[in-house]
Amino acid sequence: MAVSAIKNTANRVQQAFYNVMPNFVAGKKADKFYKASGREISSAENRLILGVTALMSQPFIDFYNRKIDEDTRRVAVCRTVAKIIAGTLTGYAVRKGTIKGMQMCSQLPGKGVPRWKTLFTPKDVKKIDTDEFKQYQNALGTYISLGVMVFTNFLIDAPLTKFLTNKFNEKVVEKKSGGTK
Amino acid sequence: MNLDKVLSNLYKNYGENPGKMLVHTGTAGWILSCAAQLMAIWTNDKIPPEQKTFLIPQELGDGLINILSFYILTSSVKNLSSKAVLNGKIANKAIRKYLEKHNLTDKIGKIDFNIKKTENFGDIKEDFNAFKNGVDVIASTAGSILSCNIVTPILRNEYAAKQQVAANNVLAQKKENEKTPYNRFTMKDYQSILRHPGMRI
Repeated sequence: MAVSAIKNTANRVQQAFYNVMPNFVAGKKADKFYKASGREISSAENRLILGVTALMSQPFIDFYNRKIDEDTRRVAVCRTVAKIIAGTLTGYAVRKGTIKGMQMCSQLPGKGVPRWKTLFTPKDVKKIDTDEFKQYQNALGTYISLGVMVFTNFLIDAPLTKFLTNKFNEKVVEKKSGGTK
Repeated sequence: MNLDKVLSNLYKNYGENPGKMLVHTGTAGWILSCAAQLMAIWTNDKIPPEQKTFLIPQELGDGLINILSFYILTSSVKNLSSKAVLNGKIANKAIRKYLEKHNLTDKIGKIDFNIKKTENFGDIKEDFNAFKNGVDVIASTAGSILSCNIVTPILRNEYAAKQQVAANNVLAQKKENEKTPYNRFTMKDYQSILRHPGMRI
């Protein structure tokens, strides 16, 4: 009873949203852009986009956070920038690498194709040059990358963040004191 | 569960739904990233304890808020856009032409309308799927930018600033206690004895 009431309300809210939303018909260029995005943006590119946009917003949000003292704010900004750079570089490289690896290891079995190259090809797939199969390779590569990132987060991401935070912090302090070491 | 079954499930689930994959793997990725970042602050000797009292709650808040806001916001934006394509609100010229040809324009924007379930869907299946995948991916990316780069940093700073005040109070109290030897007789103790002489010898 309560569940169906919640569902009805959610449906009504959604319908109200679609009622006020204007119809959008993509022109030729927009259509091409959407289709290319669906085909080409894998989790690696998604991570890169997130990282670049993060650099354009997060440090400023930290810098204008007046609720904390200046020293803490300085370290917070340095750490945010370091974290974004380290996280984006590691995240992008690992995802891209594992997706490439999965593309190599998910080919159709055939003459001259070694067994390891068909290791991750689902048995019921007959054609691999389709958008669906490319998405499957992206998904598989991304899931494998999560496993790899358990290690790289600790071995590369975190130490690199620490290193960059200290470097940026030293630079800022140096600049503020007006001299060079 | 054998590998073949896992691979087939992945193919069926994400082959036609890259937006869903981005939401699911993104959430898992943030959980791992949060754990690593917490360890990085905790083990960084160059950050003084007072600043750690801000940075650790900031990271923990960041992680929790990031995971929740990423999942809620990204999946909401993605689902709304996805449904908008399914009910024809967002379309390309080929989809619009298809709806007009089959007299389905009056159903555009109705939440129970799904183009995929129409009789002649096969005519535009390929074009529709490619377009919908693109909208899903753009919506997921936009949702994650909104959640990770705008909503989360604002919320986490609010949360962490409150945590810092509380943690610094505890640290200050601790330092104060260290200054005062536990057996030193203070004026407060003396007054207390005067007020309640029967309670102490």
